Amino acid sequence: MQKAFGRKKVLAMFLTPALVVYIAFVVVSVVWAAYYSFFDWSGVGEKTFIGIQNYIQLFTKDPIFWKTVLHTIIYTIICVAIQVFGGLLFAVFLTRINKGRAILQTLYYVPVVISSVAICQIFSKLFSVTPTGVVNAVLSNLSSKFAMFEWISNADVSLYLAAFVEGYKYLGLYMVIFYAALIGVPKELEEAAIVDGANVVQQYWKVKIPYIKPVIIANCVLVLNGSLRSFDISYLLTKGGPGNASELMSTYMYKQAFSSMKYGYGSAIAIAIVIICLLIGFVFRRFTERGDENE
Amino acid sequence: MRKKRLLAVLLTLVMTASMILTGCSGNSTGDEGGSKKGERKRISVLLRASESHPKYIMLKKLLTEFSEENGLDEPEFELVVSDADYVTKLQLYINSNSLPDIYGGANGALSKAAKDIDGIVNIGEELERVGMKDTMNEAVYDFFVDNEDGEVYLFPECLNCEFFFYRKDIFEKYNLETPTTWDEFLAVCETLKSNNEVPLIVAGQENWQLMRYLSFAPWRVTKDGFITGYMSGEETFGENESAQTGVELLNELGTKGYFQGGFLSTDYTASKDLFFGGTGAMYYSGSGQIQDASAKYDSGELGFFPVPDVDGMENMDTNVPIHGGFGTAFNKGTYDETMQSFFEYMCKNYTRVCYEDAKVFSPFNEEIPEGLDALFYDLQPLFETASDAWVSWDDKLDSATLTSIVDEQQKLAQGTVNLEDFEKTVDGFITK
Repeated sequence: MQKAFGRKKVLAMFLTPALVVYIAFVVVSVVWAAYYSFFDWSGVGEKTFIGIQNYIQLFTKDPIFWKTVLHTIIYTIICVAIQVFGGLLFAVFLTRINKGRAILQTLYYVPVVISSVAICQIFSKLFSVTPTGVVNAVLSNLSSKFAMFEWISNADVSLYLAAFVEGYKYLGLYMVIFYAALIGVPKELEEAAIVDGANVVQQYWKVKIPYIKPVIIANCVLVLNGSLRSFDISYLLTKGGPGNASELMSTYMYKQAFSSMKYGYGSAIAIAIVIICLLIGFVFRRFTERGDENE
Repeated sequence: MRKKRLLAVLLTLVMTASMILTGCSGNSTGDEGGSKKGERKRISVLLRASESHPKYIMLKKLLTEFSEENGLDEPEFELVVSDADYVTKLQLYINSNSLPDIYGGANGALSKAAKDIDGIVNIGEELERVGMKDTMNEAVYDFFVDNEDGEVYLFPECLNCEFFFYRKDIFEKYNLETPTTWDEFLAVCETLKSNNEVPLIVAGQENWQLMRYLSFAPWRVTKDGFITGYMSGEETFGENESAQTGVELLNELGTKGYFQGGFLSTDYTASKDLFFGGTGAMYYSGSGQIQDASAKYDSGELGFFPVPDVDGMENMDTNVPIHGGFGTAFNKGTYDETMQSFFEYMCKNYTRVCYEDAKVFSPFNEEIPEGLDALFYDLQPLFETASDAWVSWDDKLDSATLTSIVDEQQKLAQGTVNLEDFEKTVDGFITK
């Protein structure tokens, strides 16, 4: 069997289908979007070739796009904080308890399997103003100002709320990955730390977390990619509003292509998203690789 | 070993071939139904609607009856609820020239694209052919007139008339009269607000609801004069007095707290639930909500009043926005004899299904049957003689401008942008 897998032809036979599917659905789509980005096109009818006009408009004359870039970065930072660090924290707590661990693990994981539409419905009811939602009802006990406090339709809050909901939805997923990594840390390391006099915090901070650093980095890359391209939660919960207050690059791209019917311009935004994602991913990898080399 | 490898390769080939064949076997919506590729088996329909939508209820009933009578298979419906998804789907069908026999549409880029591929039937001519043109409500017909060539390519969903519902008990409690001008309307709102009532329920998450307040004044004063002038660059929000009134109205309603709290996150269903559930004193709605309102109307809790006049300006007579909803188009490419006879069957039976099944007003000026909710009979005088249709900015504005104004109107209603900046920004959308 080992011999068979070692053969290049057999390897190619197994890898080619995935590669073909990837090229067909990802690479071709990106190339196709790049092609459309050079046209003024409403999605139907005649296309007019306009060269790089869409990109000039996007990078030099469209202030909303740059706002969406900033929003996306803020959104990503919040998601990384909740999903990676929150997930890690929850995983650490789970490794410290014996009773009811499986139940808690399942409960934390439930939002991951619930659809985004349902999650957004739940949160829009929780944060409702009229009729008063649970959050405002509870907070109004502290101060009557909270009774009519707007969350989803508040330009100062909506972006953070959408990021929180996204973070909440996927926290369980990363928690499970971290938990698996933490229980995989060799017992000898923990025992050696205890013999050296390390307390519980030090065991985690100095031994276990550094040991699972590759998993943390991998999760960071996953969250980074997911958040930079995030669409569903923001669109379903706030529709990018009020105004453009919680508009992300992906929701802006969607609106331009399908609501404004500026398909060519929407394609230019899509290409910009691909480039920005690649750039941030590349910088992050370089940064983390350099950290590894220094160690 | 070699045999096994050969077998594996063969299996892979068989799997690949079956996958390709499976992929190829799917029919596009229009292929089987259309008459282009042989004898028609069924009629295919693409609608922007859910299963509880009047349009689906009516077409389902009519097409099923017609198909049974003519030996056709069950009609094939494809329903898309979301606006954007529907547009994407329709774009796909137009681009691949595979439109279904019947599809929903509005005047603008999509109907133009359908015209370009010769995929849309001239409904005006067809109505004349079947002798029903004069029977159709003038305002509804007027609503679907294409700006480009003055023809009508869309069949109305129903006759929709819009007005304000109000709570009679709350109005009586504070000795309020129904407002006839916008100044009176704002005074009523102020009285209600100062008595801790919610003056007005609005579905701020829906683009069209806030846009109504922006467009009421220009419509009453100029009909479509302002909006067509705006699109051609001849009119601006900064200079047109009626447009400025609309801007001030929306800003005042939003910033003075006359709308319910969190109005920008309220969708249409939630707004209906709020008002008919007992929250709020007034609600801009229409004949589409007769079923929701009937019980309270019959018990004397609810009343209605038309769109108020703009103070100090000459208003047109029609004060009830009348429109035909999201239109229905027929694919010219598959418009064979069967489809022509279905069109005739539909026109002759439309009024019946409107009142019996969908509980909406018919676009044809035919007698309303007995035994319906009282609101049907009481509302009829509002639009009986109306000849001017509602001018929907959603249809008049191009998609890009509409999307941009929608974002700005939210800011205006929240007061995060002042009146001058709003006017300057939206005027800039056209010069750009």
